[in-house]
Amino acid sequence: MLDIRNLSKRFGRGESAVTALHEVSFSIKEGEFFTLLGPSGCGKTTLLRMIAGFEPPSGGALVLDGQDIAHTPPNRRPVNTVFQNYALFPHMTVAENVGFALGALGKRQAEIDETVGRMLDLVQLGHLAHRKSGELSGGQQQRVALARALAPKPRILLLDEPLSALDMKLRKEMQVELKRLQRETGLTFIFVTHDQEEALTMSDRIAVMSGGRFQQIAEPRDLYDQPANRFVAGFIGETNFLDGRCEGGQLILPEAEAPVPAAHDDGPVTVMVRPERVVLGAAQPGALVLQAKVEQLVYFGTDTHVHMALANGNTLVARVQNADQSDAACREGETIPVSLPGGALRLLPQEAA
Amino acid sequence: MGRSSEDHARVADTRRRWALASPALAIITLFSILPLLVVVVYSFLSPGDFGGVHWKLSFEGWFSVLFERDIFDDTVSLSDAHLTILTRSVVLSLATTVITLFLGVPTAWFIATRPQKQRAFWLLLITIPFWTNLLVRTIAVQEMIRSDGVFNRIMLGLGLIDEPIQMMFTNFALLVGMAYVFLPLMVLPVYSAIERFDFRLAEAGYDLYASRLYCLRRVILPMVRPGVIAGSILVFIPSLGAYVTPRIMGGGKSMMLGNLIEMQFGQGRNWPLGAALSLTLTALVLVALIWYSRLTGGGSRRD
Ligand SMILES: Nc1ncnc2c1ncn2[C@@H]1O[C@H](COP(=O)(O)OP(=O)(O)OP(=O)(O)O)[C@@H](O)[C@H]1O
Ligand SMILES: [Mg+2]
Repeated sequence: MLDIRNLSKRFGRGESAVTALHEVSFSIKEGEFFTLLGPSGCGKTTLLRMIAGFEPPSGGALVLDGQDIAHTPPNRRPVNTVFQNYALFPHMTVAENVGFALGALGKRQAEIDETVGRMLDLVQLGHLAHRKSGELSGGQQQRVALARALAPKPRILLLDEPLSALDMKLRKEMQVELKRLQRETGLTFIFVTHDQEEALTMSDRIAVMSGGRFQQIAEPRDLYDQPANRFVAGFIGETNFLDGRCEGGQLILPEAEAPVPAAHDDGPVTVMVRPERVVLGAAQPGALVLQAKVEQLVYFGTDTHVHMALANGNTLVARVQNADQSDAACREGETIPVSLPGGALRLLPQEAA
Repeated sequence: MGRSSEDHARVADTRRRWALASPALAIITLFSILPLLVVVVYSFLSPGDFGGVHWKLSFEGWFSVLFERDIFDDTVSLSDAHLTILTRSVVLSLATTVITLFLGVPTAWFIATRPQKQRAFWLLLITIPFWTNLLVRTIAVQEMIRSDGVFNRIMLGLGLIDEPIQMMFTNFALLVGMAYVFLPLMVLPVYSAIERFDFRLAEAGYDLYASRLYCLRRVILPMVRPGVIAGSILVFIPSLGAYVTPRIMGGGKSMMLGNLIEMQFGQGRNWPLGAALSLTLTALVLVALIWYSRLTGGGSRRD
């Protein structure tokens, strides 16, 4: 329903120009929960503001339902935004805030009241309809902002880090709530966050951004298991990186005792392995076996992180479930064999890190 | 037992508060209430022969605010001269307020929407006149519009007019002078209101299908309203009592309340009437202030 083609954005002119977005292209499907994920300054807000209409694109097309809306002003786009700071109108009541868009569209009061009532029920705030918006808690303001943006039934709802101002517990609740709302309304959401966990738990698809470019667009599971490059692998979840080489269908790691078969072109590679896939102890068939010195055990309740040093000084982290293995599996200062099962290895082209 | 010790504490607390407030109360009494009382008392006395008052009760001062007695047959009629001056004062002050609103709000908007660094410069330009003597400023305006002043000479030089346009000593001249003098009082509070306005709210409105006009009406204006009202009051009240500007720009022809009052204490030698007129002016100001607190206080209570 939304096609973005070669969209780019530059701020300023001449020497001081900043390119916030380099020709990105992607499509969003009806009813999708699409997330833009990336570190600070990578252009997430800029992209969202272009979709909303606040920033004119420097180039490219923005096609919604077959129409190029790249230069349509925000008040004529069927797209609404939930702002990071909520931007509720402080001089209006909750109900007036939620009914604002319908009023601007010239709807009859009876219709506005009916919709506002429905929206407030949806976000479970019916009892606060006549409060001023400044007299609400952060979570409540968040819900009002949601209801306000949902009331005019937009084609797409844009959310710019809507949960970042909330504390951890409330944040988890709102994640569930948001997901429920999205399912109930069947609306298309474009959600911005720099929290990878939030992105993984909520999204249908995630676009990982960095430096104004898309690094990868994929479903959460694929993003985690098959990251396209070192940046994505490092940004999503925790990862170990080891430098190796492929030769004649064999992966050779300087630290490992023996090579393992690998289907990869010859040349230097970066080997990525998730900490939870690292097995303490030796001798699994088809696994890379390394000798590692246990440096530190960090206890996390459900699991323990084992920080190890390899012979050449590189570090390796393993995550062991406390239910499976007793603390006796290893001790700080000990040198133990460690296996990296062949299926857990992902080979990435080597980049200048 | 507990009850009475609590009462003691409350009494002590009340006493301490009065003690703390007493210097302020003394100053207010000495410099505000006492002089006002003197004016009230004087307004009920008879005029002295060479200014000052006779200590004899008389309502003539208050009577003369609105009425006059015929010199020959003592018939009472409304005092045209005083009524004209009173209405002129109110109308011109309102007009000054409206003019400064129309000039000041866009100016304030312009300054508030400049980049942060440039704002200080523009504000400086607005406040420079404040550092100049009022008399000098007013005479500068006079220089602009008098018959052989800058405006007329330019128009004559360009051949757009054949003879100078007479502008001095008219209501127009008065308005030009007052609007010029009081404009900064409008710009500054409106500026600070607009500057405090979070433009992301306007953006939110624009996102929610509001046209620019609807946004201005429903989002921006309600939020900068306190600044606009404060500016209007700051212009309206001193306009009502303006003295220097009407004196210079209006001459003896277009008098305002302030000039009338001054006349009673000067060549008119009618102090009781001057006192009564002063109190009338004070009452007008009070009405404006009550209206102001209704407009803003009512709003903030609902907030
Ligand atoms: N109005 C602007 N003028 C100049 N540069 C800008 C402007 N807005 C954004 N930028 C630049 O564009 C880049 C992307 O900014 P953007 O706000 O989109 O980042 P972001 O991904 O939303 O970051 P964050 O997670 O911190 O919100 C940044 O380098 C920023 O400095
Ligand atoms: Mg941002």
